[in-house]
Amino acid sequence: MINNQFALIKRELWEHRAIYVMPLVIAVLVSLMSITGQVAVSGFDHAVDIGILGATNLGENERSAAITVLMISLSSTFVFAMWILITFYALDALYAERKDRSILFWRSIPVTDFDTVMSKLLTALVVIPLVTFVVIVVTHLIVLLITSMWLGARGANAWHLIWTAAPFFDNWTATLIFVLALSLWLSPFAGWFLFVSAFTKRSPLLIASLPIAILPLLERIVFKTSVFAEAFFVRSVKMPLFAGLDNLELLFQEGKDLKMVGDASLSLMSLLDLGQFFGSVGLWSGLVVCGLFTTAAIYVRRYRDDS
Amino acid sequence: MTSLVSAHNVSKFYRDVRAVDDVSFEIEKGKITGLIGPNGAGKTTLLKAVLGLTDCQGTLSVLGLDPFRQRKELMQNICFIADVAVLPRWIRVHQLLDFIESVHPHFSRSHAGELLAKTKIKANSKVRELSKGMVTQLHLSIITAVDAKLLVLDEPTLGLDIIFRKEFYGNLLNDYFDGERTIIITTHQVEEIENLLTDVMFINDGKIVLDASMDDLPERYVELLASGEDAEAARRLNPIYERDVFGKKVLMFEGVSRDRLQGMGEVRTPGVADLFVAKVKGAAA
Repeated sequence: MINNQFALIKRELWEHRAIYVMPLVIAVLVSLMSITGQVAVSGFDHAVDIGILGATNLGENERSAAITVLMISLSSTFVFAMWILITFYALDALYAERKDRSILFWRSIPVTDFDTVMSKLLTALVVIPLVTFVVIVVTHLIVLLITSMWLGARGANAWHLIWTAAPFFDNWTATLIFVLALSLWLSPFAGWFLFVSAFTKRSPLLIASLPIAILPLLERIVFKTSVFAEAFFVRSVKMPLFAGLDNLELLFQEGKDLKMVGDASLSLMSLLDLGQFFGSVGLWSGLVVCGLFTTAAIYVRRYRDDS
Repeated sequence: MTSLVSAHNVSKFYRDVRAVDDVSFEIEKGKITGLIGPNGAGKTTLLKAVLGLTDCQGTLSVLGLDPFRQRKELMQNICFIADVAVLPRWIRVHQLLDFIESVHPHFSRSHAGELLAKTKIKANSKVRELSKGMVTQLHLSIITAVDAKLLVLDEPTLGLDIIFRKEFYGNLLNDYFDGERTIIITTHQVEEIENLLTDVMFINDGKIVLDASMDDLPERYVELLASGEDAEAARRLNPIYERDVFGKKVLMFEGVSRDRLQGMGEVRTPGVADLFVAKVKGAAA
């Protein structure tokens, strides 16, 4: 069972190379941008030197907070890409094998439909976030290394400015929890996409998007209510992982000027509230919906007879 | 003899269409059975039921298992190549072998490697880079390396040229068949497999119209090549089918002894293809 899952997930990575190619491409682009960015600001020699001097004189907490902001801004691109990957992967997972007519071959091998569909769900909800996490960590290191070299070339002490101050453990642990929690939180969509990819004869993306767009509209017109719209909206922006803060206000509070929240020692872990997350009705009801759609996908693959 | 496949009153409906109609048969261990029928006769549906890919009415047992409800156990001891069961085009040959090795308890990686070494297929090639003939070679090599009790081939050589077809059946007999294993084959090219069959089943309109051992055919069926008055006389013996060849009549008889036909013309055992036409067309007439 476990060995089978391992082989099946490896199979998914062979077939869907975008799972690691897309994050790697983004990593290369982000790293290149960090080089060009530093070359670009080099034109403002005076201002840059003053900036570095100012940073050197900051306390450790402030430097740590500044680097945290840099690391988060890097991570956010990957997290966004991760969700796009999960969407397209899940929509393709049970559709491609029917489109290229290899499904009968896969079904001729002693693997149950349950195991096959589970391997695809695990790939979407666990493997893609884990791959994303690893690439985020590597990108952080590369960008900080490039920045250190640039600082060193300008005579600044990069060790002091960056490496003694960067809260790697705090940042990476929080990032790992965040990517996995996000995939669980959005799992009802992943389940729906898998189900669509199991039954649709064409255009899985279109078929999957239509109900998400039309249901709230229909509900509004027919019942004059907005349960669906709110459910979709809440699911999109209000993950109950953050302690007392909304997703959008994670780092900054909007006011006249944007200002950083809390004390300057910005521990990301202290912003996460796992108890609240795992205690939330939203998470569990989402997982139930995901489970129902996945069961339906298994059922469709098992009982479909295309002749 | 033990029955590997045993069907009793098996039927399958697609809405109002009766694809398989109250069919009963037994297939014994160590046999190579040809399942022969025109397009739409219900061959593929019957094979799908045997493979557990579709549910059916009646009692069907394959290796003592209910194929639809015990598919995983069944698939450990059964292999199939269908023209429609294509290999995934994106996969590399060595990946395919890795994968099957890790999920199939009866697959021998080394045996598959030996068989592939005899071909031009490279381990690093993707399936999409191989010709159709090579893909079939690859598929057969994989299946030969599975220690399966039953092999089901549904039009395995469709779209292949004559050289690959001959080679396919040659390899099937040399590398796969050992007298212990059992094979069910369907194909349109009856002549090509005639010599390797031990048993033959004809299916038409969802019903089995002939189920016989190849050894029994000469006793049950006889063909007479005659002309003129001889043909007229022979016609009184109720041939099941009659056709013209170069101005002569070819009459096929079921259950008529050769002695009675001797002297009327040339007596011979009909080929499976002719017998098939006689059975199917004769039934329609």
